[in-house]
Amino acid sequence: MPTTMLADKAVYFALSHPKTVARVTAIVTLVLLALAAVPNFVDVPGLKPVTVDTDPENMLSHDEPVRVFHDEAKKRFDLNDIVVVGIVNEANPQGVFNQASLKRIYDLTEFAKTLNWPAEDETEPNTDAELPQGAREGFSEGSSGETRKGVVAVDIIAPSTVDNIEQGGLGSVNFSWLMPQPPTSDAEALQVRDRAQRIPFLNGTLVSEDGKAIALYLPITSKDLSWRVSNALRDYVEGWEGDDKVYITGLPVAEDTFGVEMFIQMAISAPLAMLTIFLLLWWFFKRLVLVTSPMIVAMVSALATMALLVISGNTIHIMSSMIPIFIMPIAVLDAIHILSEFFDRYPQHKDRRETLKVVMHTLFAPMLFTTLTTMAGFLSLALTPIPPVQVFGIFVAIGVFIAWLLTMLFIPAYIMLIDESKLQGYGHAGSVGEEDHTLMGRGLSAIGRGTTRRPAVVLVLTLLVAAVAGYGITQIKINDNPIKWFGPEHDIRVADRVLNDHFGGTYMAYLALSAPQDAGVDKAQLRQALQVKKEELGSAGLNTDLVEPLDAFIASQAAGQADDFFSAVGQYVETQLSNAAGDDYYAWDELAIWVDARRQQQQVFKQPETLHWMAQLQQALVADDKVGKINSLVDVVKTVHRELLLGEEQAFRIPDTANAVGQTLITYQNSHRPQDLWHFVTPDYRQANLWLQLTSGDNRDMEAVMTRLDTFLQDHPAPQGIEADWFGLTYINVAWQDKMVKGMLKSFAGSFLVVLVMMVLLFRSWLMGLLSMIPLTLTVGFIYGVVGLIGKDYDMPVAILSALSLGLAVDYAIHFLARSREAVRQQGSWKAAVSHVFGEPARAISRNAIVLSAGFLPLLAAPLVPYQTVGIFIAAIILCAGIATLVILPAMATLLQHQIFKHPMYKHQMQKQNAEKG
Amino acid sequence: MKFSHRFSSLLLASVCMMSTPPLLAQGVEPQATSANNATPSVDEIVHRTNHVSYFQGKDGRAQVQMVITDDQGRSRQRSFTILRRDRSDSEAVTDHAYLGEQQLYVYFNRPADVNKMVFMVHKKRQADDDRWLYLPALDLVKRIAASDKRTSFVGSDYFYEDVSGRSVEEDTHELLRTTDNYYVLRHTPKDPDSVEFAYYDMYVHKQSFIPVQVEFFDKNNSKYRVSRALKVDDIDGYPTVTEASMENLNTGSKTLMRYSQVRYNIGLPDDVFTERYLRTPPRQYLR
Repeated sequence: MPTTMLADKAVYFALSHPKTVARVTAIVTLVLLALAAVPNFVDVPGLKPVTVDTDPENMLSHDEPVRVFHDEAKKRFDLNDIVVVGIVNEANPQGVFNQASLKRIYDLTEFAKTLNWPAEDETEPNTDAELPQGAREGFSEGSSGETRKGVVAVDIIAPSTVDNIEQGGLGSVNFSWLMPQPPTSDAEALQVRDRAQRIPFLNGTLVSEDGKAIALYLPITSKDLSWRVSNALRDYVEGWEGDDKVYITGLPVAEDTFGVEMFIQMAISAPLAMLTIFLLLWWFFKRLVLVTSPMIVAMVSALATMALLVISGNTIHIMSSMIPIFIMPIAVLDAIHILSEFFDRYPQHKDRRETLKVVMHTLFAPMLFTTLTTMAGFLSLALTPIPPVQVFGIFVAIGVFIAWLLTMLFIPAYIMLIDESKLQGYGHAGSVGEEDHTLMGRGLSAIGRGTTRRPAVVLVLTLLVAAVAGYGITQIKINDNPIKWFGPEHDIRVADRVLNDHFGGTYMAYLALSAPQDAGVDKAQLRQALQVKKEELGSAGLNTDLVEPLDAFIASQAAGQADDFFSAVGQYVETQLSNAAGDDYYAWDELAIWVDARRQQQQVFKQPETLHWMAQLQQALVADDKVGKINSLVDVVKTVHRELLLGEEQAFRIPDTANAVGQTLITYQNSHRPQDLWHFVTPDYRQANLWLQLTSGDNRDMEAVMTRLDTFLQDHPAPQGIEADWFGLTYINVAWQDKMVKGMLKSFAGSFLVVLVMMVLLFRSWLMGLLSMIPLTLTVGFIYGVVGLIGKDYDMPVAILSALSLGLAVDYAIHFLARSREAVRQQGSWKAAVSHVFGEPARAISRNAIVLSAGFLPLLAAPLVPYQTVGIFIAAIILCAGIATLVILPAMATLLQHQIFKHPMYKHQMQKQNAEKG
Repeated sequence: MKFSHRFSSLLLASVCMMSTPPLLAQGVEPQATSANNATPSVDEIVHRTNHVSYFQGKDGRAQVQMVITDDQGRSRQRSFTILRRDRSDSEAVTDHAYLGEQQLYVYFNRPADVNKMVFMVHKKRQADDDRWLYLPALDLVKRIAASDKRTSFVGSDYFYEDVSGRSVEEDTHELLRTTDNYYVLRHTPKDPDSVEFAYYDMYVHKQSFIPVQVEFFDKNNSKYRVSRALKVDDIDGYPTVTEASMENLNTGSKTLMRYSQVRYNIGLPDDVFTERYLRTPPRQYLR
């Protein structure tokens, strides 16, 4: 075969010029590393420094509709991501509502207000263009505030920053800060609690429903500041006396903290895994100097790939941070086959050059194909709609290719550079021809015998496993929650548990309710209404003649956009009003009010029927036990209405008219924080927002709430054509998970087919091709079946692992079948070949499986759950694939030996080979 | 300060260009000190500013167009009529005789859903102000507890206290510097816990005593709120701010007020400012 010849030539080159190969490898690696590293220290044109991106939002591309809407809605309602700081006091019978604790919380709030910093390069220009030059001479610099990043102080929710509305003396209504100053006594502290608990917006949000704890909500200008902010807060409360415990959580903190810990993790876990693999290899292959070579291959492949990632301007994302962990096992895989083969054959030849020639010749095709299939598996990820996953897939594939190249050239060169004396006495005791008495040797022989003698039993067991796995797969729960990326004892998880126990919830989701952009104007109806108004004017004794010119004006206006229409008509009547003389003034005033009232009918969220529908909707959603709390315009209106009407409970309702709603809302705006209203409704009152606090960030729980909404909308159609759309981080996570799962399924199916075609081509046999897919299919089925059975959530790392299993699990089958066919060629029959196959080839597969699976167990010690998941899954996949290959394939081969080993191509090849030998 | 402007004076531009401000009739003392070019005492500047801002004439009225624009450029409008009446008959500044109780009546015209809503204040010198709110749609007269005057005025960036006037006795005053056109005053609250600012600086026009710009600073010395007089007209002999703005630098929100049909000394009777008139507005004074 020409490829084999080419390969042989390449290997011969490496064997003859080992130093050149080693030098080129070293130089290329160093150049790549330099190109990646240097831009971090000095500016290099065309190269960017390393950028880290820990934002799971970026799992969706920036122009993804869900994300575009999320960003737009956040802006529309002036919302920020929130850091939740809970203060809990279990020791004091009054909880944190004692004088000392509230003083500390007051100070903490004051401190939090200072946690913002000037944003660079963003200074707003002074826009007082109307004023003559020099008119403002002498005024202090910068009439507009500089842009700052960090905590948005004006929007902090804390006892000292929120308003209290309540009954004052003499039946008056009182707007005041809830806690303008720290209380001077414990009794006063309790009053703070009681006042807050009377306000639905604060109860369960600011003050826990059990009245023992307080949560501060710190909006931040961007998520990537949450680690900095939460660290500053943690440092601040470090020396707190007393029994107050401070907990900090929220999705932004979790996501940002994950990014920081991810790097620590990469720095510890990856080398630890390498070390374990190294020690096992050493134990298997005895010679330190030999086992160093796969380590070098793994390191160089991982480093070069990461360098290429950085050089190409990609960010280091949660996904791409895992690239080295995926490349390293695959990189050592081929090297282990070579070493294993070399280990077994060296005693025969006693010459490394000759041994290597044979070894490389034998292994070339399987190694090429295992590499190609692995690459195919990862490249299929490029077809997913998730940018970080695409980058991950492409770069792992690149890494696998680099590893293959190095294995083909560097490993032989490396062995050639070793002092031959160091190989003295090297080799496996039971090398070709001899009995293998090691535990592994005996065990493998037993497997070989057992599976070939009772293939039917194996087949039945396999089908049984497949059936159970199939059932397990149906039980899979697709779910993710960035908070759960931390171990159960991590500070963030603890805070998450404690705070969600006390409060309405630390996970934010929002529901935007939007009336259609522009309702348009029904002019005919309007003019009819004007005639009714005319009669009213008449009965009030006012001049009805003025209706005519207004009617004419209305008739002359285009009915297109309601805003423009009413603005024109409004301007017309106001002009008439200001020019009116005598009693005509009052008539025009009436008409002007009439026009403006008509305009205000567009303000759908001031209409009582809309608010009643919203209240119902809220009730339907809050019935979900994961929805701790919903804040909305409805609560604002009801609360203010109650306090206006002497604070009586029966007044806690939506007023009967739109005007009454309007007046209630303008009263609310007489507070310290009128801008709070615009978090719940837009100033045109055509869009409203429900703020949901969830006690769980599990995507499944969010999905359950989404289902509730759909059901509600079916039973209670929205008035005025209102549409409901979710946004917020908790929802975004559901959106990208959904894409991820679907994308992964597609890409897995695609690459499965590609690998199958490659197998058929490799073996030039449909049957062999299908056979080689069995261990892989069973492994994937088994792993995901177990995931389903044990109730482990199918999350981001689990989804990615399907690609890895595809790449790794097929490798063993390729090696096994290729070597089996070769053995049959040499021995003449499958029966005779079995003992050979269960000699060196089976040992190589076993060593491989053991080394790699053990090598990834250190990841289990990682504090970050996705790394643990990856660790245990890689180990399980490798082990399963190894076992499936060594047990199922020989059984199948026995059952199908007449079909698979009598392929004409195979015969032809055997004859050709025999002829060559002859 | 703000609402103030309706009774204050001079377009800023004209302020800068006028060498001599118009001498004001109606019992206003000639501004001898500034004409002499000698710097008046801090007390005099403060009280002249206070007078020009809140106390010109025995009474007054104005129509106000208010536009609140948020940092996203979305705006909402309100229009209302303000009636004001001083209890004191004097306008003498030097002996502080102009100071006295005041009555304010704010009648809302638009938007339509707040039409006929009334906000009324009885400003006291020593005690807390009395405040009422009439909500026609709920047919409700509410007294508003006087606890905090630094809350938003109907959702705008102005505070109630900006509308009714902050008592000069609540702050200590110092003259920071004098520029070609301005006295720059710094006012520091005597009771810092009662207000959200640490101090505020006021640029008082030398000739007219109009506070052309007022800047509020927080505890971190960061400026977060700016009030400006944008246009000043001479009305009935009184320099009157007819366009003013208040900007909240923290929220990016800005409120613009335009005054029209400003008139002084219209002879408002005392009983207009009673609870009875909340439900039955005195129409002849409001148009």
